Formats: sequence, C-alpha cells, structure tokens
Amino acid sequence: MKSIFKKSFAFILAAVMVLSLAACGGYTADNTEFVIGVSGPLTGPAAVYGTAVKNSAQMAVDEINAAGGLGGVNFKLVVTDDVHDATKVAANYASMLEGGMQVSLGTVTTAPGLEYTKLSKEDNVFFLTPSASGDKIPEFDNGFQMCFADSNQGAAAAEQVNKTYKNQTIGVFYKSDDPYSKGIFDKFKETLDSSITLVETVFTGEASDFSTQINTLKDCKFIFMPIYYQPASIFMTQAKNIIAPDAVYYGCDGFDGLAGQFEDFSVIPQEVSMLSHFDSSATEGDAATFIQKYTEKFGADTLNQFGASAYDCVYAIYNAMKAAVDAGEKIDVTISASDLSDILKAQFAGDFTYSGVTGTNIKWQDNGYVEKGAVKYVLKTANAADEK
Amino acid sequence: MAKAFSEIKWKYYLNYVAVAIVTVVFGGLSIAGALPSSTIYLLEKIAISITLAVSLSMVVGFLGELSLGHAGFMCVGAYLGGKVSAVLEPMLARTPAGKEIALIVSLIVGGLVAAVFGIIIGLPALRLKGDYLAIVTLAFGEIVRSIFMNTSADSFGGALGLETPRFDKKYLFIIAFVLVFVCLAVTQNLIRSKHGRAITAIRDNEIAAKATGINVTKYKLAVFTISSLFAGIAGVLYSYSNYTVQSSKFSYNYSIEILVMVVLGGMGSINGSIIAAALITFLDIKLQTVLTGDLAVLQDLVYAAVLIVIVIYNNAPGLKTFREKYNLKNFIAKFKKTKHDPARVHDDEAKWDRVPTKIKMDELLSMDIQPSSAYTPDKASKEDK
Amino acid sequence: MEFIETLLNGLSIGSTYAIIALGYTMVYGIAKMLNFAHGDVIMVGGYMIFLSLTSVGNPILGLLAAVLFCVLLGISIEKVAYKPLRGASPLAVLITAIGVSYLLQSTAQIIFGSAPKMVVVADFGNLTVGELTIPYYMLITLGCSVVIMLALSLFVKYTRTGRAMIAVSEDKGAAQLMGINVNAIITITFAIGSGLAAFAGFFMLMKSPSLSNTLGAMPGIKAFTAAVIGGIGSIPGAMVGGILMGVVEAISLTIPAIAPYTDAIEFLVLIVILLFRPSGILGKVRREKV
Repeated sequence: MKSIFKKSFAFILAAVMVLSLAACGGYTADNTEFVIGVSGPLTGPAAVYGTAVKNSAQMAVDEINAAGGLGGVNFKLVVTDDVHDATKVAANYASMLEGGMQVSLGTVTTAPGLEYTKLSKEDNVFFLTPSASGDKIPEFDNGFQMCFADSNQGAAAAEQVNKTYKNQTIGVFYKSDDPYSKGIFDKFKETLDSSITLVETVFTGEASDFSTQINTLKDCKFIFMPIYYQPASIFMTQAKNIIAPDAVYYGCDGFDGLAGQFEDFSVIPQEVSMLSHFDSSATEGDAATFIQKYTEKFGADTLNQFGASAYDCVYAIYNAMKAAVDAGEKIDVTISASDLSDILKAQFAGDFTYSGVTGTNIKWQDNGYVEKGAVKYVLKTANAADEK
Repeated sequence: MAKAFSEIKWKYYLNYVAVAIVTVVFGGLSIAGALPSSTIYLLEKIAISITLAVSLSMVVGFLGELSLGHAGFMCVGAYLGGKVSAVLEPMLARTPAGKEIALIVSLIVGGLVAAVFGIIIGLPALRLKGDYLAIVTLAFGEIVRSIFMNTSADSFGGALGLETPRFDKKYLFIIAFVLVFVCLAVTQNLIRSKHGRAITAIRDNEIAAKATGINVTKYKLAVFTISSLFAGIAGVLYSYSNYTVQSSKFSYNYSIEILVMVVLGGMGSINGSIIAAALITFLDIKLQTVLTGDLAVLQDLVYAAVLIVIVIYNNAPGLKTFREKYNLKNFIAKFKKTKHDPARVHDDEAKWDRVPTKIKMDELLSMDIQPSSAYTPDKASKEDK
Repeated sequence: MEFIETLLNGLSIGSTYAIIALGYTMVYGIAKMLNFAHGDVIMVGGYMIFLSLTSVGNPILGLLAAVLFCVLLGISIEKVAYKPLRGASPLAVLITAIGVSYLLQSTAQIIFGSAPKMVVVADFGNLTVGELTIPYYMLITLGCSVVIMLALSLFVKYTRTGRAMIAVSEDKGAAQLMGINVNAIITITFAIGSGLAAFAGFFMLMKSPSLSNTLGAMPGIKAFTAAVIGGIGSIPGAMVGGILMGVVEAISLTIPAIAPYTDAIEFLVLIVILLFRPSGILGKVRREKV
C-alpha cells in the first residue's frame, strides 16, 4: 500500500505540475487564427441545444473562413461541454482561455451562464450569447445577448394576454426548476392583469408524463407555456384529445423547433403561437436560407432558434470586428482577449447594428439586452373547422 | 506519553505529508502568481472531492453502511454556508479581514447544520439495513435538493440558484487543502482509536459488537454526524469556489460519483479514497476540457469503460491469480531488486505475535449469520463448471 | 369525477412503475445486486420500438423486437459485466452497474444523436363514460400490466424454473446442492427483467411520445423506490409499491401548492413507510441469528 500510495501521489503531483507549466498570461501569443469559445451542453438531457449551437456556429465560421476570414485571418471555434451544469463552466472557461480564446459566445443555457458571466468579467472577455436568456447574463459591460431577456419575454407575453383575456381564466404550464421558464413565468405573473385568473401547473426535471397537469388545465382556453419545445411537444401530443380544440397554446422563443417534432403538425387540433425572433418553419427570407443550409448539413433533427441565434452571433462578432478595423482599430491575430473585448464593447454599446437570421437592424442597449422585433408567429391555426 | 522516535509508524503519517507537500508547493506557486486558473480550479475540485470521499468512506468503508445521499449533506452545507457568506460579506466589508471572518463563520454554520441533518438521517439508520438504508439516504438527498430548488428567489434563490461570493481563487484551494488535512486528522485519529475499532467491529458483525458491550447506537450516530459535518464543510467550500449554487448539481448522480471514489479507492482505505478522489476528479475534468466539440459525446463512454474495467480487474474473483502476478507492488519490487531479508519485513507479516488476526474471525462468524448476503459463491461456481 | 380520473392516471403511471420495479426486485432477490442499469434498458427498448416503427410501422412488431433485443441485451450485460464479479463485494457490482448505465446512455447518444425523438406509437383516443374521459392508452397499460403480473406470479409459483428462482433467492448454497443450476437461473432472471423493461418502455412511449437517452433514468430510480417500498425481493411487493408511487405522484401533481415537490413527496412516502416497516410493506422480516 505504501509504495502504491507514493507512486500514485507522485503521478498526480507530476501531472498537475505539467499542467501548471503552461505559461501564465499571453495565452494568445501563438494564435494563428482568431479563437471563438463557447460552453454548452453537448451531452445530457439538454444536449440538443448545445449541439444546435455547435453546428450552426461552426457553419458560420466555415462560411467566414471560405470568404477569406478577417483580413486573411481565419476563425476557429472551440465548443466545450458543460452538460448544463454550472459547476463545469469554470474548468471549461479556463481551458478555453488558456487555449487562446479571444472572444466568446458565452454559454448556451442560462444556469451555467450565470457562472460564466462573472468568470468572464474577471478577465474582461467579451461574449455575445446566442441563447442564455437570463436577466442577469449581461450583468457586466462585457456581456451581450442575441436572444431576448427572460423578463422582457414574460412582460411582452403578459401585455398581449392582458389585451384579450380580461376577466377570464387562463392556464400556465411551466418548468419550476428551470431558470428560463421560471424567469419568464415570474415576470408574466407580475405583469398580468389582476382580473385574470391563473391556473398554474408545473413540472420539474426530465418529467415526460404530463397527464395530471393536462387534466387540471382542461377547461382553459388559453395556455401560456414558457418552456422549450421538447416538453411542449409532449404536452400537446398528450393533450390533443383532452384540451378543448379551440384552445390556444402560447409560448416564447423556446417553442421554436416545435413543428419539427411532429411528422404532421396538424394532429394537434389547437392553435399554437409563439413570441420569438426566429421561426424554424420559415419559408422565406434569411431564415429560410439558413434553414436550408443547416438541414442539408446536419439534418432537421437539431434545427432550432438556438442554432439560428448562434449563427447570427458569430456573424455579428465578425461584422463588429470588421467595422472596428474599418474604423481604424488594429486587430491582430494575437490580440489579447481583453483588448479585443474593449474594441467589441465599444462597437456593441455604440451604433453598431446587425441584420441576420433572427432579425434586422438588431441593436444592443448599454446594459447588454438586445433590441429587435419580437414577432408573434402563428405556428399553426386551430383546425377545429376542418374536422367538422 | 511521547513515543520513541523510531517507534512512530511513519506509514500512518505519509498522507499528511503528501497533503502538506501539495499545499505548500502549489500554495507557494499560486501566491507567486505562477499557477494558471485551470490548475487552480482543478486543485479546488480535487480538494473538495477528497474531503467528500474521505468523509463518505467513514460511513461506507468503516461503518459498513451504504449511503447514496452524501450530496444531500453537501447541498445543505453549500446553501447554508453560501447564504451566510452572502449575507455576512457585505456587512463585514469594512471590517479588517471581513472576508476571512465570513468564510470561517459560514464553514462553521454550513458544517454544523449538515451535521444536524446527519443525526436526523442517522436515526433511521439505526433501524434500517443495507440497501434499505441506501435508498433512504438517496431519498433524503433528493428531498433536500427539491426543497432548495423550490425556495423563493430572495431566500435561497430557487431555480435561479443562490448567488454566493467567490473567495480569492489564489487562496481558496490552500484553505481547502488545509481542511482536507483537518478532515484527515479527525478521520484517521478516530479510526485508529478504540472508537475506530468499535466502529469496524459494528461493520464486521453488529450483533457480536453489541454482545461485547459496544454502544452501537452511539457509534452509528457519531459516524453519520462527523461524516455529514465534513460533507457540509465541502459544500461550503463548493459554494465559495462557484459564483452560484444550483440545486441540480446535488442529485443522486453526484452522490454516486463520490461513492465510486470510495469504492475504487478500496473499502476502508483512507489513502485509497484520497488517490481515487484525486484521480477521478482529474480524469473527469481532463475528459471534459480535452474532448471538445464533436468528441464530447465520448466523455461518458470513456469514463464508463474505465470504471467497468477497473472494477472488474480489482474485484473479479476469477482474476485473482492474474492480479497477484501482475500487481503494482511486484512491478515496483522488480525494479528495486531488494533481497528478501526477514529482518526488514514490515507490517503484519513480520509480527508473528499478531498472526492470529490474520484469521479473519469476523468473516468466519458472518458466514452463517447473514443468510441473505453472505453467499460466497467461489465453491458454487467451481461446481458449475 | 376529476378525482377518479386522477386516480386512474395514477394507476396507469403506477403500473408502469410496477413493471419496472418487478425487474429490479427479481434481480435483487436472486443476484442480490442493485441493477442500476435497469432504467437504461428501458431506454434501449424505446429506441428499438422507434427503429421498428420507422422501418416497419407496426407497434406490436416494434414491441416484440424491443422485448427480444432487451432480453439479449440483459443477458449479455449480465455475462460481461456482472458475472465476473459474482462473489465479489456487492458494492463493486453496484459500481459496474453504474458504469453500464453510463455506457448505455452514451452509446445511445452516439448512435441516435442528441435530439429527442418523437415516437407516436399509435393514436388510441379516449373512452367517454358519462362525465369521465379516460384515454385508452391508460386502460391498455393497466390491462397489460395486470396480465403481466398475473403471468409472472403463476410462472414463479407453478413452473420448475419459477420455483427454482424462489429457491435460489432463499438460499443459493442450498439450491445449488439440490441440483439447481444457479448461473442459469440468474441469467433467466436478467432476461425476464430486461424483457419487462422493454414493456415498460412501450407503455412510457404510449403515454408520452418523447424518446431520449435519459428516458429511463428517473423512472428507474422511482421504480427502485417502489420496489423498496413494497419490500425488495418480493414480487407482489413491487406491484403494491409501484401502484402506490404512481397514485401518490398523480394526486400530488394536481395540488398546485405541493406540485413542485412531487418527487420529494414520493421519497418522503418511502421514508415514512420504511420507518414503520423497515423491510417494506410486503418484505420478509429476516431475523438475524447468532
């Protein structure tokens, strides 16, 4: 035992020593490409979102490189896996930073994003997150969002509901242990007109059976669902014969990708709408072009707004860097993350605008929130009429 | 009574020395600013894992009760300690050493509250056995997690998680390793005392232990309390090493991860737990940061394969002869080329007066005492063939 | 009326748990191990159903294929991962089981990708009796479960193999001396347990159409809890425990104040029951002899 202990101990010591040999500071000195880093769930239950971001961001990077990069310098994307777990972010962040990361897409989901926000503040690393929509994600000056902040979505949804459902009963179905869902719901409830009665139902974890909740909601004519499309599709499939066919399901940007879950969306009799910045069943415009390119390369399985947003993030960063170069800033391939961050912060907090897949004339407020049009997409109208 | 210098069993103190070396070497490097963040995070995680594994090894390895709720105690410590530090730090912002005071207070609070939970969960442990206790501890962990998850935003953060202050990362892992040292000192001294022998006696045969006058109730509760105290302390450290504490981390999967460390390290071996905790944490983080992008899906595959192969290699009765032939000891011995000198043989083999202990009385006794679990199929499987 | 619907829903959730719990309990009774990978066999069954639905389109064929594949999978897991460890410490086997569980989940993700699949087994519609609306799938689940449980009870009671299983779970050594091939019995137990897991996968997909590589994780743990509540090792116990868990879950979900705590409440039920009956509801109290 004694010698085994010694040996193993020596091994660990040596291993950690080797790691610490990596020089401190100046991580970007050997860069031959601009390095973009992102941490997202590539395994575990949320893997589909991370995978979408990984694929789409890689697609954007490949396109930019094919077009000559920035002044002849290519981009490189590093995607690390955080399994939607905040504890894993620090290691990912450090390894990416020490691997030469200069600019970042932050995290894919909110929970780990809260950690990332503060870590990136320490080193002043710029990030533009495609989909971590928590209100606190752009807390510091180095963080920006491409998606709508949760409370803005909740408030916008409640205002729409206030207009049409005064003095009525509406239902809500949300995931109480998810910051995204809970964040939207809390603001929604707060903004909701006091004359409206709210029937609340919740689920947690990876639950996949909602028959009880559906039963509770069966008399509601309007159901607000600030959840992601995957549980939403289960809910709708389970509820199709129980909830009134003229009811309306209303979701936020998490609903996007819903249509792709069904072979035939019309099996759901109810109306399905969402307030979002991207519709993955779009047939025209930039969105359609993106959808076509993505589907050709990776299939429709993982197509959702996370990916579209990530695609836009890469392009927005690229455009901002280009705009800065045009304005006379010097961006070298070995530029440090902090220097590049200062340049990009000035751009994003300034007059920089971007038009892409998830919106046109996108601007950013000083506090990092995005300013773009939220569109109500009717994914599907009620088909009660054709049934008769 | 001071022992003569030559009588001190140096073997017993080797792990203290090891922990001290790590603390001093890396602490020095860190204070000098020569450690990159990735190494610092790795060391923080390793220190937390070691504390967890050593404290769990008391319950599983020495008391012989299977616990699948260790992450629950950690969760209590992380939330309570994190809350205390989040409240105290702004209050003490102007006091000299305010951060340090907040750290100490939160360590005490987190540890003690977790210890109280240890007593609560230790009580059913007096009534339940084996796998029944395992599922109760698992249930306890899930209940604790669920309660913290559904707290309101301004008490414990709820779904958004509790925001906690992060201690200066240059120093946090040094503190963590000092606490590993404390944990080790407490555990080891307890195990090697007469109380420790009483605890292992309960593990080996509870009824016989009772018959010899050992207060089983007292010892079981004591072990659960001390073990959860250190899990709570690890939780507080965890809250300090992250900016947010999120309840989803403390699911039964995390308890299982800690259990894996204890089992791979060898039941009832503290040094084994330390090595396994360090190696598994190292492997985990390396897999996570090296396998990026498209390769990320391979992480769990590699981890699982390593796990299965190691466990089968270490435990399969069929591989016993193979193991004895090709183990690390023989491998090292080959290089050392020391002659066999009866005068230099250490440990049990040399002490002829201790030879009777080599007959494992407790194993003999337990054979017909536990009809449900003491099945020894060595004979059985031979007959089959 | 609503309460009756909730109760029926609880019964159908519960009977799925019971089917999974049967797998746990039989394996525990005979091999004395916690098969943590059992939940993931459900997931593999789900993917087999998905594959056969997309290629052939017949849910019954899909179920048969899934059962067959899971039986083979169960047997091979037992042979490769657990059999070498027979006679080693039960904890070592537990850790291998966890390893197998990770292995299955990760392999499924590599093969089928990270996006969850929508698997609509069939659209059965509702049965309306007065004010009651009962989806047919609930009735199918309930009916099938009852048949399975009856068949299993009869099998264990009246066939040679079944009685051999009881003998092995009572006392392996003595069973061996009576000429029972213990290894074969263990293999058969794993085969039956895994086959049942495939059924559970079918019921779960019928209820909720989403299939991902973590499909079986939480139901697995809950079913394990159910098996313990009923008294692990006892076949009727698994059924009682499963039904109880399902009903508690369904009722708790309908009460808004406690709905977010549903998982916690189920586990609390476990703790309370074990405090009063340390060996579960129908578990045998074994007296320790000196």
